[in-house]
Amino acid sequence: MSTSVTARKLHPQHKLLLIDLFASLFCVLFGAVYECFSHGVYSYGMLYAFVFPLVLGVLPLLLIAVLRVPYPNRFVRSMLHAGIATLTVGSLVSGALEIYGTTNPLTLVYWILGGLLVALGAAGYIVTAFAERRNKSDSPKEAHTY
Amino acid sequence: MKIPRYGFAVLFGLALLLFTGYLLADTFLIKRVYSVAAEPASQTAAAQTAAESDEIVIVASEEEAAAEPVDSSPAAEPVTTDTTYSDENISVQLSTYRLYETTVYVADVQLSSADYLKTAFAENSYGRNITAKTSATASAVNAILAVNGDYYGAQRSGYVIRNGVLYRNTSGGGEDLVIYADGSFGIIDEDEITAEELLASGAWNVLSFGPALVEDGGISVSENDEVGRAMASNPRTAIGVIDDLHYVFVVADGRTSDSDGLSLYELAAFLQSIGCQTAYNLDGGGSSSMVFLGTLINNPANGRKSSERSVSDIVYIGYGA
Repeated sequence: MSTSVTARKLHPQHKLLLIDLFASLFCVLFGAVYECFSHGVYSYGMLYAFVFPLVLGVLPLLLIAVLRVPYPNRFVRSMLHAGIATLTVGSLVSGALEIYGTTNPLTLVYWILGGLLVALGAAGYIVTAFAERRNKSDSPKEAHTY
Repeated sequence: MKIPRYGFAVLFGLALLLFTGYLLADTFLIKRVYSVAAEPASQTAAAQTAAESDEIVIVASEEEAAAEPVDSSPAAEPVTTDTTYSDENISVQLSTYRLYETTVYVADVQLSSADYLKTAFAENSYGRNITAKTSATASAVNAILAVNGDYYGAQRSGYVIRNGVLYRNTSGGGEDLVIYADGSFGIIDEDEITAEELLASGAWNVLSFGPALVEDGGISVSENDEVGRAMASNPRTAIGVIDDLHYVFVVADGRTSDSDGLSLYELAAFLQSIGCQTAYNLDGGGSSSMVFLGTLINNPANGRKSSERSVSDIVYIGYGA
């Protein structure tokens, strides 16, 4: 009985995966509804915003689970998801502007900042993964994977 | 100091939200007046006092400023009905057509001088997010007939020359309609000529939306051409020239159960059929609006409401404010 609450708690990896999946589905829904009211004017930014949380969030987490490689640390997760959020919002905003028929150079900030954050997250992951692997080979008894 | 578990996410989300809010406000709400437009005495007498601007403002040459001004009001009382206007300088005849399940409003205009074909900015100011309904701007300049212009304010590029004044010389690479001082129309590609060269060549008004619909009497769009990524049937606004000082202003309703709207090709074919030698597509969709003697003629489809959208500029017939 006392362990039931703990047992029901989602693993952080699964939780993150669900959040990314939900974000992706939300973007699909948001884009579809927006397109319904855009009088047939369409935008790739609006239609494909769901790709960012799916490809940069869900897919890597699935790969990590399948390949049983180290789970990213907090810094990596923060950078990566800040990047995903920035790119996704940027895509939706660019789409909305395109459908309205206008532009704003400030939208570049989303792409640059989002790209940098994702790159930082990826670099952080590679560095920590290598470091962890090296530690594992140094002390095999402490090896663990998620 | 220990950072809360979701501290970064909350702060970053807030920053993202604030930035997005600012971007949307910058795009749609924050007004920036770059210059106030001064009404020149005539198309061949440019006098412009546009100042306080970080945008370019160049006026037409002094040589052009030497010509005589034309009448600033009709000498005799004009004859008007619900669909016609006539005085010694301006004649306007409104007609309604029904084609492709669409209601199309056509104003046939004949002038004694090109000076009566004019453009105006919303709030008489050139800038960003300076907008007003076509009927409001038309009323401010005492327009006899007015349609929405190219909504230059929605774009950051594309030439803006109005009443002999160059306001924006950034090329957007599109096709522009050039209305020369003598009232003739021309179509240019922004990649092939600079705005300064256009002004020097006698361009009085340049509208940058497009595309050109009719050139030299022939249709210049294909059945698949569209504005950006729009569907085929839409509300439309177009302007065309039939002969010297003989113009048509055309607005098609769309996006309603009564009126589907036209494709660019359908619009071009219609303009050709009524005799246009040159015709050009202006801003359409919710912006499409035609005002005649202070009355809104068409049924604009602005979102889900049947009301006028505020736009940056108008093209009009009249004696000026």
